[in-house]
Amino acid sequence: MAATSSYPPPPPFYRLYKDYLEDPKCAPEPPPLIQGPYPLFGATYTTDVMLPSLEDQGVRQLYPKCPNIDYKKELRSLNRELQLHFLELTDVLVERPSQYARRVEDISLIFKNLHHLLNSLRPHQARATLIHILERQIQHRKQAIEDIKRRREEAQKLLRESLQTLDGH
Amino acid sequence: MDIISQLQEQVNTIALVALNTFGTLQRDAPPVRLSPNYPEPPANPTDEAINIAEQPKTMSTALVQAAKKFDALVAALPLEGGEEAQLKRIAELQAENEAVGLDLQKQLEAAEQELKQVQELFCQASDNCLNMKKPD
Repeated sequence: MAATSSYPPPPPFYRLYKDYLEDPKCAPEPPPLIQGPYPLFGATYTTDVMLPSLEDQGVRQLYPKCPNIDYKKELRSLNRELQLHFLELTDVLVERPSQYARRVEDISLIFKNLHHLLNSLRPHQARATLIHILERQIQHRKQAIEDIKRRREEAQKLLRESLQTLDGH
Repeated sequence: MDIISQLQEQVNTIALVALNTFGTLQRDAPPVRLSPNYPEPPANPTDEAINIAEQPKTMSTALVQAAKKFDALVAALPLEGGEEAQLKRIAELQAENEAVGLDLQKQLEAAEQELKQVQELFCQASDNCLNMKKPD
């Protein structure tokens, strides 16, 4: 089977690295990092790691779109709506069983919104983890400074005492 | 597990419990009486009938409890401070980290200097001791 242009053979650069162990400078440097979107095996990928919004995925967003969302309130109200939709689904199944599809679609829409809201909390969690790590590192460094100061004072005290002992003789 | 993962797991649990509830109720529901002209089907008072009466109660309790657990987890979310407050705190901590790092480096250099001096003095003292020792 002939290879198509979207599945090229691997590049033949490996031959240039035959003597890499003896002389690392004889072979070319690795290529620089790719910026922006790039094609890989026929599909386009992006280097920008943003969570795609619900509209990008073709899903209606049920909670309001504003820069400072009250996550707890929105999560609770979505939970209430979900329970209400379950009750509506049971009613529909009793009264008009053939119209279940719309209700099931609404329920899956609420689930998608719930998961998207929880995923958008991850950057906040990442920043909080970073703050925690920095605080711990500062605490360790301060502890190390105290230890070094204490040891230096002990050493100087020992030297002074030994000097006095020698002078005494 | 961190709280956001717990919340995501709880959402999946609610979905699973709801699916099981509706599926079981639909599967085990007794047939509906279509018209008063048709005779009532013979009722079998077996164990299955007791289970069918109990099932909606237990399953709806499970669903409501799952929803309540989700609410409790949402209340436990530590969400104080928005993005700007967090970024400001990170910048402050980075500056403090730099300053403390410089201080630590100064202390280390001074301690290494003193160690070198003490080692030299020890060498000299031991040399003097050896020189003063009478040859046998």
